[in-house]
Amino acid sequence: MRKSSQCAVVLAGLYACFGAALPNAFADETCNSPYISNLIKGQEDFVHVWTLGVEGLGDGSDKLVTIDANPGSKTYGKVVHRTSVGGRGEAHHMGFTDDRKFLWAGGLDDSKIYVFDVGTNPSKPKLTRTIADLPAKTKFVGPHDFYALPGRMLIGNLSNTSDKSGVTGMALYNNKGSLIARYDMPTTSIGGVKGDGYGYGIAINPAKNVLLTSSFSGWQNYMRELGDLIKDPEAMKHFGNTVVVWNLKSMQPTQILSVPGAPLEIRWSLAPGQNWAITAAALTSKLWLIKQGEDGAWAATEVGTIGNPAQIPLPVDISITADGKGLWVNTFMDGTTHYFDITDPEHPRESYQKHTGSQVNMISQSWDGKRLYITSSLLAHWDKKGADNEQFLRAFNWDGHALTPAFEVDFTKDKLGRPHHMKFTAKAGQSRTLAALARQ
Amino acid sequence: MLPSLSSSAAACLLTFASAQAAVDVSPATAPRMEFTPLPPGTYRLQAIQSVEDATLLDERGRAVRLSALTRGKITLLTFFYTYCVDPLGCPFAHQTLTMLRDRILRDRELARDVRFVGISCDPSTDTPEVLARYAMDFTTNSRFEWRFITARSVSALLPVLDDFGQDISVEVDASGRPTRALHHMLKVFLIDPRGRVREIYSLAYIQPAVMLNDISTLHLEPHTRPADARTAARRSQ
Repeated sequence: MRKSSQCAVVLAGLYACFGAALPNAFADETCNSPYISNLIKGQEDFVHVWTLGVEGLGDGSDKLVTIDANPGSKTYGKVVHRTSVGGRGEAHHMGFTDDRKFLWAGGLDDSKIYVFDVGTNPSKPKLTRTIADLPAKTKFVGPHDFYALPGRMLIGNLSNTSDKSGVTGMALYNNKGSLIARYDMPTTSIGGVKGDGYGYGIAINPAKNVLLTSSFSGWQNYMRELGDLIKDPEAMKHFGNTVVVWNLKSMQPTQILSVPGAPLEIRWSLAPGQNWAITAAALTSKLWLIKQGEDGAWAATEVGTIGNPAQIPLPVDISITADGKGLWVNTFMDGTTHYFDITDPEHPRESYQKHTGSQVNMISQSWDGKRLYITSSLLAHWDKKGADNEQFLRAFNWDGHALTPAFEVDFTKDKLGRPHHMKFTAKAGQSRTLAALARQ
Repeated sequence: MLPSLSSSAAACLLTFASAQAAVDVSPATAPRMEFTPLPPGTYRLQAIQSVEDATLLDERGRAVRLSALTRGKITLLTFFYTYCVDPLGCPFAHQTLTMLRDRILRDRELARDVRFVGISCDPSTDTPEVLARYAMDFTTNSRFEWRFITARSVSALLPVLDDFGQDISVEVDASGRPTRALHHMLKVFLIDPRGRVREIYSLAYIQPAVMLNDISTLHLEPHTRPADARTAARRSQ
């Protein structure tokens, strides 16, 4: 396992500066799997928020919160539905199935996977299945990324059942909820770089037959109170420092790229003909470009800095524009939303920033780039304390120059919990499913 | 009871979602392929799911078990409708399959062990007679099995669609009546001779060179070789 003393130093500094918190995130329309149908390229109708339950707040359960996001609606900006799952398991990320009819949502603590029907009536998602066999069948825990493949779901995990460290792997389920295969993250050396075995994000480029994975940390770390964690020098060494390049067809790792400081979300450029990806390393506050060289080998290059790394801004989520020319970055610790011009991805240039909350984590933009949604929670044990523990979803409009507030939902006042990952849906419009028509 | 999908006077015209619609229902670009595919037999295709059996109708109006068309050979199966004109929908799939068929025909043994199956997702319009006419464009070579299948009714088709996870939606008019505009996510299913789905190609992954190598990879698997599966099927009868 790769150990990083650099991470320990950074985290210690972080806590000294701010008194709490760390990374984790991902969302938005432009980050969806390329296998997903029906991208929403106009106005989204609903934002679904996978929300961590808080003991003593409302029903205390993890829940999928549905918010009306259409400005033309009478309930615009309001919570229109909530679907509790009946327990608290560290709700975190979710992803659509390839047909966009179902949302798979995971718990980082209980390792359960909840499947919500959002296709039948997106204003009222319904819990249709709970998959609880991930630990028993794969020896992995902490289902994190949910990435659609045709007819199946690839799940990137964060930890394992034996020592609950960051050594983990990916699990492949079919859309009916049956396990198909498991894949270990590499721990051997490939091309002179040793794998740390850690997992986090998943991003696929079908045109290149390439899957990229990033690396974070295990259950032992993400379920600990941050105040305790940073006092444990050994534990502080255990954060990921690699991005792994996989052959998608064979699901075999082909390269391990050194990307120090816990690289989190990975986004491929969606511009036609572009074959590069970008990621942000949380602990070092750096942007990394992943690109194929003329010899066919992939390389990771540090191309930019987010904020002042000495102040540990902690970039936790990124969102790339549909044309691949802009990148939103949320830095959790200073509550700042940044916009980078990445027209030249080798030289990102920050052109805008705004303080958007006392703590900001997930960031999701609409496909047309006109709307931006931000949530506040990182992890139950890593969120800030006291007055800084704001829990919200904030919606903004973006005119290319400035963010202006659109609406806000206070998740504490509404007794919902800690809002984390977001996904969009739209009403069916003038179409009906064949099944629905047959029932008429 | 589903109203007939064939009642529109504008028989050959499809209308897709309006410009105001939030959801982009038609794929924007054809798939790109910028890599050299792995050679056949150097990788394993996972068993994604088994195909549930059903009773459908063939081009002559005869009842046919789906299992008879998904076992015993390596099968590429897709859902289509005869009047689809989406350039990146059914016509694109059948163009790709035609290219694949021509390539497969260069290998006599492979051609014997592979079949293509198209199942109509509009049985109201695509009657056996309509399918028989449509199939003439694709079934010109007697050395290759390419079948076109429909169902007695939408109700008979729905369990098949559900099993394959093939969602179909139909545009409705202001009165809520179905039009002839169908939307479905283009998928091609690769099924081994034991009736197990081993790969699914949606638009981003409809890459003929990869599909051919996947077919050849299955053909190299000793335990799923078509001849073995046919023998096993006969013994089970």
